[in-house]
Amino acid sequence: MLMKRRTLFGALASVLALGIGLATAQPRTGGEMVIVSGENPRHLNPAVQSGVATAVPGTQIFASPLRVDENWNFHPYLAQSWDWSDDGLSLTLNLVDNAVFHDGVPVTSADVAFSIMTIKANHPFQTMFGPVEAVDTPDPHTAIIRLSAPHPALLLALTGALCPIIPQHVYGDGQDVRDHPANNAPVGSGPFRLAEYRPGEQITLERFDDFFIDGRPYLDGITIRIVRDAASVTLSLESGEADAGIITDASAITRLGATDGLTVTPRGFEGIGPIQWLAFNTRVAPLDDVRVRQAIAYSMDRDFILNALMRGVAASQQGPIIESSPFFNPDMPSYNLDLDRANALLDEAGYPRDADGNRFTITMDTIPGRDSALGNVPEYLRSQLREVGINVELRTSPDFPTWAGRLASGDFQMSMDVVFNWGDPVIGVHRTYLSSNIRPVIWSNTQGYVNARVDELLAEAGSTLDTDARRALYAEFQDIVGAELPVYWINALPYHHVFDDRIELPLSIWGMMQSMDEVYWTEDR
Amino acid sequence: MARIHTAKPTATKTPEAISPMGEAWGQFLRNRPAVFGLVLLAAIVAFVLYGRYGFAGDPYRIVWGPLTAPGVREGVYLGTDFLGRDLLTGLLKGGAPTLAVGISAAFLTVVIGIAVGALAGFFGGWMDDLLMRLTEFFQVLPALLFAMVLVTLFSPSLFTISFAIGIVSWPPTARLTRAEFLRIRELEYVTAARSIGASNRRIIWRVILPNALPPLIVSATLTVGVAILFEAGLSFLGLGDPNTISWGLMIGQNRGYLLEAWWPVAIPGIAIFLTVFAVSLVGDGLNDAFNPKLRSR
Repeated sequence: MLMKRRTLFGALASVLALGIGLATAQPRTGGEMVIVSGENPRHLNPAVQSGVATAVPGTQIFASPLRVDENWNFHPYLAQSWDWSDDGLSLTLNLVDNAVFHDGVPVTSADVAFSIMTIKANHPFQTMFGPVEAVDTPDPHTAIIRLSAPHPALLLALTGALCPIIPQHVYGDGQDVRDHPANNAPVGSGPFRLAEYRPGEQITLERFDDFFIDGRPYLDGITIRIVRDAASVTLSLESGEADAGIITDASAITRLGATDGLTVTPRGFEGIGPIQWLAFNTRVAPLDDVRVRQAIAYSMDRDFILNALMRGVAASQQGPIIESSPFFNPDMPSYNLDLDRANALLDEAGYPRDADGNRFTITMDTIPGRDSALGNVPEYLRSQLREVGINVELRTSPDFPTWAGRLASGDFQMSMDVVFNWGDPVIGVHRTYLSSNIRPVIWSNTQGYVNARVDELLAEAGSTLDTDARRALYAEFQDIVGAELPVYWINALPYHHVFDDRIELPLSIWGMMQSMDEVYWTEDR
Repeated sequence: MARIHTAKPTATKTPEAISPMGEAWGQFLRNRPAVFGLVLLAAIVAFVLYGRYGFAGDPYRIVWGPLTAPGVREGVYLGTDFLGRDLLTGLLKGGAPTLAVGISAAFLTVVIGIAVGALAGFFGGWMDDLLMRLTEFFQVLPALLFAMVLVTLFSPSLFTISFAIGIVSWPPTARLTRAEFLRIRELEYVTAARSIGASNRRIIWRVILPNALPPLIVSATLTVGVAILFEAGLSFLGLGDPNTISWGLMIGQNRGYLLEAWWPVAIPGIAIFLTVFAVSLVGDGLNDAFNPKLRSR
């Protein structure tokens, strides 16, 4: 009886859904889309290269086992279903049986195994497949991922640009995958295949007719035009020369937002979670004192930064996990402008004002070439910290590697930094706070932050599959780092998608960094 | 010999009445634009010195809302920049570093230029060839790009910026000095000095250089203006010294907001314009004063 009722409801629901679907949007086939990009990818193989510039074309060319939607729910893609073992130590992927690579060779479980092991060995995000011990292939359409410990980030690591399935018969020829010639002429099983690649100029993708999902993709092709500067990106979107793009500049966002016929939205970047923060070197005085770090946090006015400097286009970010993530803890300690409190904390920490009203001088590094795009926060900080008697001396670096080297080697006091969450905290958050990750590389725990309880909590959250249990662990973690402030989180960078209103573009947490086979023109261009 | 001795007092008496310097000064004063330039320059220097030594405001202090227009709020006469810092305070405090960069870069230009030009012009031969090839090498490098490379390489500070501007600007001075030396070293009084056994060093320093100086002074004056513009250009491109407020830095930091607010860029821009204008007028005045042949024009 119960069963029947359920079926009835189910049928009713699907009829309704179908009706709504028919009424609102009937996908149209055909047409091309031009994407403009201000960044030039190093190559087109996301298996060994992170970053947005590679991910956008890479996810069109390569299919991944799963997809994720805007609510962090997983959906079948190359894998039509998946099963966790009861102990959480193995995940079985059942692959679709009609997927072929662009050269006609079928996609098998051997390719999945090869891809995952290649990514584990070569991708910059070591934690992504860290616990993967082996991938078994009992038959051509079943892949079993064996883990040394439960790994809650695994499903997310199988989506989008994080897990492109690359053909073993192309990349398995013994050459180093990181410099493989096929990285510039990739063969994947995604909805679009590479027609032409002119590095630094244009990437032309055309519809792959044998794509394994019937009737997809809707578009005939995607052209990615690479231009040199941000102003050209804005202009080509404004003039309609390009149909879609990604922008981060506040003035461009305001300007394009006011342009008729364009949709400008911050959605679609929940996955990468780009956070701007002020990093403290917790190993050196005076920043080794938590009261000094808190005083600096109390000297800043969040509203001013968001409204005056970022001009209202950036979201607030008060903690280590991006606020749009289900793991963010809104009750964690937060800091806002309170100069009296800042002064009191500095007095208490033993840094009184001298006759001129100064307490100490501190050096602050800036990321080369990005100051204005990041809202000139260093300039603002200098003015604010003078109010509480701290002199800030800005130090510039001639180029990115110099700055990265200074942070990596601990040769700094404070620095601006931008770090991405990359979906699951295991991938992009743990690295900043684990004491085991104090390594001489950029975007590790460059602050030298050590807290045994944080290490414990992260280790546990990284090997617990239950989402609610993980949320509780991360909540405590956020309470601790919120109180101890190894970094002060300022804002989420204002990444925005821009696209022509006539394009139906579903934006998952990965935005354009996931297969665009469902994208279509609602009317002719 | 005795005759020469007796002739000397009379020879010095007459020049006292119409000494070259006094004559040039008189000529300068008759040049109205030059006098205007001098007065303007004096006013700017007074303003800057007051900002440096007399005025106690903090240019980094946020006084009012960002991008407040001039005159909207009492006490914030010239408005505020993108952070809400007072532009008048910035103008007062930023003047001294701006002028310091201009003057020290011009000084460096003159020192290198005269050294290279004097050696090349005086000795000629392989020394001339070598130094002139070197000069041409520096001259063909695009000055702004070269300065940008230098500043980036040594990280921007007032010192490195002055250094970079000096390094890229000396070739014209060197060529000018060389030309003067080539001309003067053939004159009779140089031959005379040589014939009484004066050393090369003495001839260069005491005989030729003083006579070659007038055009070099003009060139150095104009270089001050060029150097100030150069500093502004570097700051505009984000290569200014981030720890010292200067007029160029004010322009560079506010240029991103130009479409919303013109004053944070225009006001320091006008200050730079007036300074360079004044320096150029004075330079032109000096040029006319030192070149009697051009007087009638």
